[in-house]
Amino acid sequence: MSDLSLDATQLDRYSRHIIMDEVGPEGQKKLLDGRVLVVGAGGLGAPVIQYLAAAGVGTIGVADNDVVERSNLQRQVIHADADVGVPKVESAANFVTRLNPDVTVEQHHLRVGPDNVESLVADYDVVVDASDNFQTRYVVNDACRLAEIPVAHGAIYKFEGQATTLVPGGPCYRCLFPEAPEPGTVPDCATTGVLGVLPGTLGCIQATEAVKLLIDAGEPLAGKLLFYDAMEMSFETVPYRQNPDCPVCGDDPISSVDEVEYTGGCAVRAD
Amino acid sequence: MQLQLRFFATFREAVGQKTIEREYDEGLVVGEVLSALESEFDGLEGQLLENGDLKPQINVLKNGREVLHMQGIETTMEDGDTLSVFPPVAGG
Repeated sequence: MSDLSLDATQLDRYSRHIIMDEVGPEGQKKLLDGRVLVVGAGGLGAPVIQYLAAAGVGTIGVADNDVVERSNLQRQVIHADADVGVPKVESAANFVTRLNPDVTVEQHHLRVGPDNVESLVADYDVVVDASDNFQTRYVVNDACRLAEIPVAHGAIYKFEGQATTLVPGGPCYRCLFPEAPEPGTVPDCATTGVLGVLPGTLGCIQATEAVKLLIDAGEPLAGKLLFYDAMEMSFETVPYRQNPDCPVCGDDPISSVDEVEYTGGCAVRAD
Repeated sequence: MQLQLRFFATFREAVGQKTIEREYDEGLVVGEVLSALESEFDGLEGQLLENGDLKPQINVLKNGREVLHMQGIETTMEDGDTLSVFPPVAGG
């Protein structure tokens, strides 16, 4: 599709992109040719899907195994009251269809895990980790690094968020946190609550990173962890480095997610 | 020496605030400071150190740099330094 030309409707729809040198018609074509997998269609995934669809990312994969619950609607802005009980992947696809007919949504109604992750991520240019649990986050990090697919990572806790972008050649999520906390030690949104607008901010940062990666513009948030504190309205960035002992991107990496025990701390199995 | 100590997410809740200041003996290393914090705050007990090293589930920064890439828990702290301790979070 590299010879894709923009039709009159697209020239109008994407005109604010096209007039910028940093995007231009070439960048817009890259977006329309782009394939992004969004893991999780919840608080973070909702703004990610919304903005990627508006931007004209041609193919958006959405992986989620949940159905919409009424308690989601305080923050998951692509789902509406009438969607309660509907699979989130279906609700997300319906939202995108209404927003932008240029975008195809590939629905993956499943929980991403070690058994399906490698085939799932293989066809995508960029993966956005908008999941809500450590197991999925480590699975996504590991599989994407092994397949050399960049990941726009975001995670939230009450009124704080963390974002970073994991690009091949740079440090991965395990360089920051070698192992996941034991299940139950870090409570989830259902237990602690979450400020409804918080994932909007973090998801928009993730979507920004995905767009930049697709059009190869700017500097990705690689080797940097961005902290957002909604109560202080503060952002701070701390650098982090590749860990030579990292089991996924270090000097002696694993060859498959099969070598990782994704229950408990998501540690690599000892030989 | 006086240190500024910063906590994020669940650690912030365990301490009750994001930033505190504490006075310690000169020359203490990161591991000793973390041990003192585990003793001071019930909610941090067992959360920072494991088998004489940093727990693999946390990240610790001295003045914004990872102690992992300095001397780890043996990294010396000096008056005026900031030690930041943060866990991963998974919410989405």
